[in-house]
Amino acid sequence: MTEQRFKRMKDLPSTHLLGTGTPMCSGCGGLEALHQIYDVLGDKTVFVNAAGCMTLLSVYPFTPFRGSWLYTAMASAPAGAQGVRDALDILAQQGRMPAQDDLGVVVLTGDGSAYGMGLSATSAAMDRNLDFIYICYDNEGYGNTGQQASSATPHAALTATSGGSRGYPGYKKDLFGIWAAHRPAYVATVIGSEPLDLARKIEKAREMKGSRMIIALAPCPTGWDYDPKDSVEVGRLAVKTGVWPLKEYIDGKVVHTRVPRERAPVEDYLQLQGRFGHLFAPQKNTALLEEIQARVDTYWAGVEPQRPAS
Amino acid sequence: MYRIRIHGRGGQGIKMASRVLGTALFHAGFTVQDAPKYGAERRGAPIFSYVRADRQAINERGTMYRPDLVVVADDTLLAVPAAGTLLGIDAHAVVLVNSRDSADTWRHRLNLDAKLVILPSAAETADRANLPHIGATCAGAAACLLGLVERDVLARAIAEELDGLGDTVVAANQASALAAFDALAGQSGLVQEGVTIAAADYQAPQWIELPFEDASIAAPDIRAAANSVQVRTGLWRTLRPVIDYDHCSHCWWVCSTLCPDSAIRVAEDMPVIDYDHCKGCMVCVGVCPPHAIAGIPEYLAQQQESARATGGGADDTETAQR
Repeated sequence: MTEQRFKRMKDLPSTHLLGTGTPMCSGCGGLEALHQIYDVLGDKTVFVNAAGCMTLLSVYPFTPFRGSWLYTAMASAPAGAQGVRDALDILAQQGRMPAQDDLGVVVLTGDGSAYGMGLSATSAAMDRNLDFIYICYDNEGYGNTGQQASSATPHAALTATSGGSRGYPGYKKDLFGIWAAHRPAYVATVIGSEPLDLARKIEKAREMKGSRMIIALAPCPTGWDYDPKDSVEVGRLAVKTGVWPLKEYIDGKVVHTRVPRERAPVEDYLQLQGRFGHLFAPQKNTALLEEIQARVDTYWAGVEPQRPAS
Repeated sequence: MYRIRIHGRGGQGIKMASRVLGTALFHAGFTVQDAPKYGAERRGAPIFSYVRADRQAINERGTMYRPDLVVVADDTLLAVPAAGTLLGIDAHAVVLVNSRDSADTWRHRLNLDAKLVILPSAAETADRANLPHIGATCAGAAACLLGLVERDVLARAIAEELDGLGDTVVAANQASALAAFDALAGQSGLVQEGVTIAAADYQAPQWIELPFEDASIAAPDIRAAANSVQVRTGLWRTLRPVIDYDHCSHCWWVCSTLCPDSAIRVAEDMPVIDYDHCKGCMVCVGVCPPHAIAGIPEYLAQQQESARATGGGADDTETAQR
């Protein structure tokens, strides 16, 4: 494992492969993660994109990618990836493509597809141990259509389909756990505001074979209702408060790559975002805030004994 | 029928403006259509919404080619052809521009027959959250120029449309809208109702016939790499990040990596902001360890640039060297 490639922030790529001029929102946390991921994966990558915000990356006649991009229906990106992988394998087997021209196949979907509609196709792809990388940019709702709730929406968040004083009544689905239960080669959570952790994990995934699954929490100024300048701060607080645990599943074990020494209160994270504004005004909803804090605390109570060595 | 088109940038409340205006006109007894143009719009990107109001059923749909009133919430859009702010404007139309510049200046720049009305822009603030509610302001100004809606009906429409956002938000938007309504009182009723377009007068666009091609030609394949750089997303920017190189500690891996748009490149160990593409999110301003990046209003930055270009003091040394 060459974690050596990214020892310090200084080792991060200084040239960026992803083209500028995309139609993503100003301050997009998903684009921030994607451009970092692409820099590590390199240009020999073919993207299979399910419908979502990032569909708009490649709108004819423009693309920010340096290679191929394929658009699929919302539930079908892993099936599309299977087709691309098979085609590349057949070309190689028949001697019609030199080995050095092989491409890495990467699925790119939002949480609406990854946590919901596309889960069945993803499960089947992992069952077949499809040799691909899956990247989910998780902005916790159907952002492209106006932030309706998805099964990645956190408890109590306001969305276009969950209003009122209590917000979304459901709980964010544990996609990491669901994916890891398939025992694929690799599962990891990342976030664009922690570029070093992200780069190490993507580098690790890049060097493996089989199904490698990545969930990038994507702070979303539009859907989460905060000033775009705060995208990195919101992301850092998601990690510091323990709301977004950075972890990986590898060799049958779950390892947390960042265990906050002293977790900041979840309020610090929530109060930056308009979607949680109803928890703070007109009066503070202490009971609901405590409930959210207690869930985070319970999660970490099962984790904190296993601090990583570094 | 009255036809109103409202132009602005994603996030300014342009859709809200059309809803407020539509609801107010509905309460004034009109049949109303209001809708944003739906597409791939993003915060900061040029968008528009429209309102149609008539005393009888409205059969028109889609794009508005002959508006009676065009509201431009952000005057920088007038220079962006893709925004289509000036589509179908003739001597009959009223153009309301939210701007710091005078009507004379805009008349000179645009060379239009249309009646120009200026809604003076609020002073720029460094924190965008403090900017007044431009969507509500535009709805209030438009309601006044139409002269069809009473003050209290406008206030009621805002209360209805923003119901659920809380009393504070409603009150603030009402205040902005009514202030604009009152400010333009002298020009109430300036907008003239447009003629009904008869189907018989319809002129087909100049279609271009395209023969059916083989898939290798007809499929929307893009064969260029990273050609999205041809899209100038720098036009979205209202604030401009500027690096003070005297204080920059050359830790490019922070700003260049965290810039969501890959719009900070690294040249000889120095971060360089690509203003053709920077959308002005200001993430770099917040993450810069030595605080060497400042956000300044885009219009001021452009004024400074043009002052320099037309031989301002900053260029004297360069001229002397020549």
